[in-house]
Amino acid sequence: MKGITQVIAVELKLIIRDPMSGFFALAFPAIMMWVKLRTGKPLPGGLPVVDATVPMLSIFVIGLAGLVVLPATLAQYRERRVLKRLRATPASPAMLFGAQWAAHMLLAALGTVLLIIIGLAAFGLSAPANAAGVLLAWILGALSLGAIGLLIGALVPTGRTATVIGLSVFFPMVFVSGAMIPRETTSGAMRAIGDLTPMAPVVEAIRAAWEGNAISPVTLGVMVAMFIIAGGVAVKAFRW
Amino acid sequence: MTVIEIDGLTKSYKAGKAVDGVSVRVERGEIFGIAGPNGAGKTTVVECASGLRRRDGGTLRVLGLDPEGDRRELLQRIGVQLQEAALPDAIKVGEALRMYASFYDKPADWRKLMEEWGLTDKRRARFASLSGGWKQRLFIALALVGNPEVVFLDELTTGLDPAARRMTWELIRDMRDRGITVVLVTHFMDEAEALCDRIAIIDQGRVIAEGSPRELIAKGRSASLDDAYFALTGRELG
Repeated sequence: MKGITQVIAVELKLIIRDPMSGFFALAFPAIMMWVKLRTGKPLPGGLPVVDATVPMLSIFVIGLAGLVVLPATLAQYRERRVLKRLRATPASPAMLFGAQWAAHMLLAALGTVLLIIIGLAAFGLSAPANAAGVLLAWILGALSLGAIGLLIGALVPTGRTATVIGLSVFFPMVFVSGAMIPRETTSGAMRAIGDLTPMAPVVEAIRAAWEGNAISPVTLGVMVAMFIIAGGVAVKAFRW
Repeated sequence: MTVIEIDGLTKSYKAGKAVDGVSVRVERGEIFGIAGPNGAGKTTVVECASGLRRRDGGTLRVLGLDPEGDRRELLQRIGVQLQEAALPDAIKVGEALRMYASFYDKPADWRKLMEEWGLTDKRRARFASLSGGWKQRLFIALALVGNPEVVFLDELTTGLDPAARRMTWELIRDMRDRGITVVLVTHFMDEAEALCDRIAIIDQGRVIAEGSPRELIAKGRSASLDDAYFALTGRELG
């Protein structure tokens, strides 16, 4: 894992220097939050909308960074032969994967912190009932969705294709899994479809921990399993 | 002392044989040229020797190591500049050097290297903003950042203007003067003549002539290596 902290630091800077990823991961979710919360009736069950919206949008940010930006970065590096140059160094694919994952998840963490700050400052967000649980679920969500992103990035030849694939995985998923529309307000059929996506356990676990409900061990187990399977296949399938 | 031993190297792609029984030896501290027309198999030889490609047949030793079996160890001790490789657009010169240095067990002092190769004024410049000559300078510095014993340079001066080309030649001589063995792939015969201690001319995957520039010129009964090259390859248009 030699050099991993250097690569993480440089990659994070590169992500932030790209105005598009900065906008979509940081500003866009904040704007969505403002739009959603301007007129906020409590959700069925009495939960203030903000207490559902901030955890939900934190998953939106993980998904965007992990499923869209991360594979696009890797595929663009392949297309532009940045990976080819790295291959001629002692840097290992596992180290590069780890560093790319960490850099993109630091972006997602930044986006999440921003949402929490705005939520607390402007919309009366309640602090999470189980902060450790939120953190655990967030990290497992980042690992599982990030591993799927690495898998896309390991296989797709060009940055443009990776963006198209990433977006077509990401957008349907955020709609049906409850990362944009609260699960309480969606139909049973939509929830049933949403539950089949890898994003649903992340939404369930983070929201449950935030509200202080018990986190279902199944959701945690599914996230761990997705991380191991998608991550393992990604490392195996990786082409420079 | 021999640092690179290649014996009967073969490699085929779908399109056909790229390397068809190449054998060369490179001694420590020399600038060894691999010259020949485009598509002759030069790059494939270098990619096999630097562990980037698997060979089909033959034996290969670089610094006593097998580029396939001992790849990780070998990559710690060689430096590579590749044709068509790139860095991310937004990375800065200083960041690239510092990051690449972190991959090696015993890296060179990247700040000193940046100074020596005249890159200090450009340390905050983004890769995409550099001209071709500066990009090549950075690639040379990156090839040296691991403190290598052998450096492979593939078509280093293609696309450079004459001044940048001359400057690059000086930098390559400088490397040799520091005791680094340089393997230089080129299709410019004037460059091979000016820089190389010994040259192997490769055509259609085979070594068709090998020796010092002087020997090759004598062998081709020519006035320059450029003329000798055409006499030896039997080609009118390279």
